[in-house]
Amino acid sequence: MKNRLKVLRAERDWTQAQLADALDVSRQTVNAIETGKFDPSLPLAFRAARLFGLRIEEIFHDEDRAV
Amino acid sequence: MNQTGQLEGGYNSRTRANVIRLFYWNGAWVAATALMAFGPKFLWNKASVFTLLAVGLDLAVGAGMIVANKKYIAELDELQRKVQLDSMGITLGVALIAGVPFSVMDAYHVIPFHADIAYLLILMSLTFAVSSLFGTWRYR
Repeated sequence: MKNRLKVLRAERDWTQAQLADALDVSRQTVNAIETGKFDPSLPLAFRAARLFGLRIEEIFHDEDRAV
Repeated sequence: MNQTGQLEGGYNSRTRANVIRLFYWNGAWVAATALMAFGPKFLWNKASVFTLLAVGLDLAVGAGMIVANKKYIAELDELQRKVQLDSMGITLGVALIAGVPFSVMDAYHVIPFHADIAYLLILMSLTFAVSSLFGTWRYR
C-alpha cells in the first residue's frame, strides 16, 4: 500500500516525531508507514485522515489496483 | 504543533512509564524466585511452611509481572505490538523445537549433563532479545 504521509507531513513542516505525537504512535511507526514497510490499521488510517482533514483514500492507495 | 498536538508526548511518556513499571515487576519476580530457590537451604533450613509461603509469594509477584507485561503490550502502538508478537511467536517455536529434543537427549544420556529448565529459560531469553532487535531493525 502506498501513501502520501511524507508529502502531507512535509507540506505542514512537521517532523516525524510531531506527527507521531499527533497520531499517538512511535516515531518508528511513522517512519515505517512512510517508507511502505508497514501498513497501518484502519483506526490509525482514520486518525491520519482526521488529522490531515482528508479522506483515507486521499492518503492511502492500494498498489494492486489502478485508481 | 497545537493544531494536532493534544496527545503530544503521550505515547512516549506512557510507554516509558510502562517500561519502568515492568522493570520493577521483573526485578521483584527475580528476587522472589531467588528467595524461593535459595531460601529453603540458606534461610529457613527447608521448613515446609516457609517454602510454601515463598512459593505463594513467587506466584503472586509473577502474576503481577504478567499483568504489567500485558498492560505494557496493550499500550504499545500497532507496529511495536507486531514486533513483540513476532518475537513471542519465534521464542515459543524455538522453545518447543529445542526443548523436546533436549529433554530426549537427557533421557537417553546423549548429553553429559541434566537438561535443566534454566537452559531453556536462557535460550528463550536470548531468542526473544535477538528477535526483538531484528524486528526493531527491520522496521527502523
